Amino acid sequence: MEQDAQLVQQCLQGDGSAWEELVRRHTRRIYNICYRFTGNRTESEDLSQEVFLRVYRTLASYRSAHGGFATWMTSVTRNLLIDHYRRTKRDRATDSLEDKMPVVENKESAGRRPDEQALLGELSGQVQFGLTKLSPELREAVILRDLQQLEYIEIQRVLGVPEGTVKSRINRGRIELARILQQMGVRPS
Amino acid sequence: MTPMNWTCEQTDERLSDYLDNLLSAEERAAFLRHVPSCAHCAPLFADVSHLVNKLHSIAEVDAPPQLVYAILDQTLGPRESFWQRVQRTFRSMGTARFVYGAASLAVTCVVLLSASGFSFRHPKMADLHPVNIYRNANSRAHVAYARSTKFFSDLRVVNEIQSRLRENEQAPINQEDSLPQRAPGKEPGSTDGTKPGPRQQNRADGLYRNLEVLADEMPMTFSVLGGRNAR
Repeated sequence: MEQDAQLVQQCLQGDGSAWEELVRRHTRRIYNICYRFTGNRTESEDLSQEVFLRVYRTLASYRSAHGGFATWMTSVTRNLLIDHYRRTKRDRATDSLEDKMPVVENKESAGRRPDEQALLGELSGQVQFGLTKLSPELREAVILRDLQQLEYIEIQRVLGVPEGTVKSRINRGRIELARILQQMGVRPS
Repeated sequence: MTPMNWTCEQTDERLSDYLDNLLSAEERAAFLRHVPSCAHCAPLFADVSHLVNKLHSIAEVDAPPQLVYAILDQTLGPRESFWQRVQRTFRSMGTARFVYGAASLAVTCVVLLSASGFSFRHPKMADLHPVNIYRNANSRAHVAYARSTKFFSDLRVVNEIQSRLRENEQAPINQEDSLPQRAPGKEPGSTDGTKPGPRQQNRADGLYRNLEVLADEMPMTFSVLGGRNAR
């Protein structure tokens, strides 16, 4: 975290390599948030670029005293995702199922057996499909808590809502997602 | 003291508090007393806890490799490829300024190498060794200094000879006049008119006699000196 703050300072002094380092450190995380929120790889790529462009332009407004750089960046991402959700609300009615096909993960280093990998890949696709059925408020709460594994206080900062609201959204999001998966036939093993 | 009650509504509202360890010890005990035996809460708890476990095990997807470069292009501007950089370098070499600079550099190198004793007709790698360069440059500098010193010294001698010859042409030489004459009223060895002592007088007389002998043997030298004194 301190290294991020130091890199930000170097960026503000015009150091291009520091910005490159920041981009490399956070691209994967930001892309994953976008992907889990939209369920679409192309859109996620475009949104990730948009996030970094906005962060680059507003870097001077970042204050380390208000939280870590990663939290601030996640907050920027969340705002963009909500904007994007509102912008594309009408288009989603005609979305094809092609974008929501299950995705096989690339975490082979975890040492899982192929059958476990296939199962998780299937589950990942099912979860991804279920997430897109949640309202954006519940979806972002579940993504931040269970997929990004942020602490409650960090989620509070990202969403800009009180602690009680964060807890409520996470709880409702999980219950709603479990219900959707149950309707899809995914049962607890 | 009666134990705390837990209701199905509380499970609906605070199930995640239990899963995330946010309940107090008393609340946790009440939760565990109620949920396993409740027909509504038990399956809900099983589904949600299973979901949370699975969500935590889902791996991140890899970002496309080109994404980082696309972001850097958008923020820092397009980056040049290796060949673009090479082409730009060659293009910059075509300017008059670069050609003039390169020519100046080449001439400077030739001058410095020549000064350091490097032979362009018979080039040797040993001549480019720093020690040899220093030695040759030092030797050449000393030779040049000695030559210039000798040249100016010769010039001075020639000038002196020429000026003497001119003087001689203007004033013909008289051998007898060239001898030093006694000053009237003064004895040899006396400069201030006072009478010298006998020892000093004898020495002056001896010197004068020696000079007369030398004048007889070296008339040319004394003619030059005499002419100068005669002036």
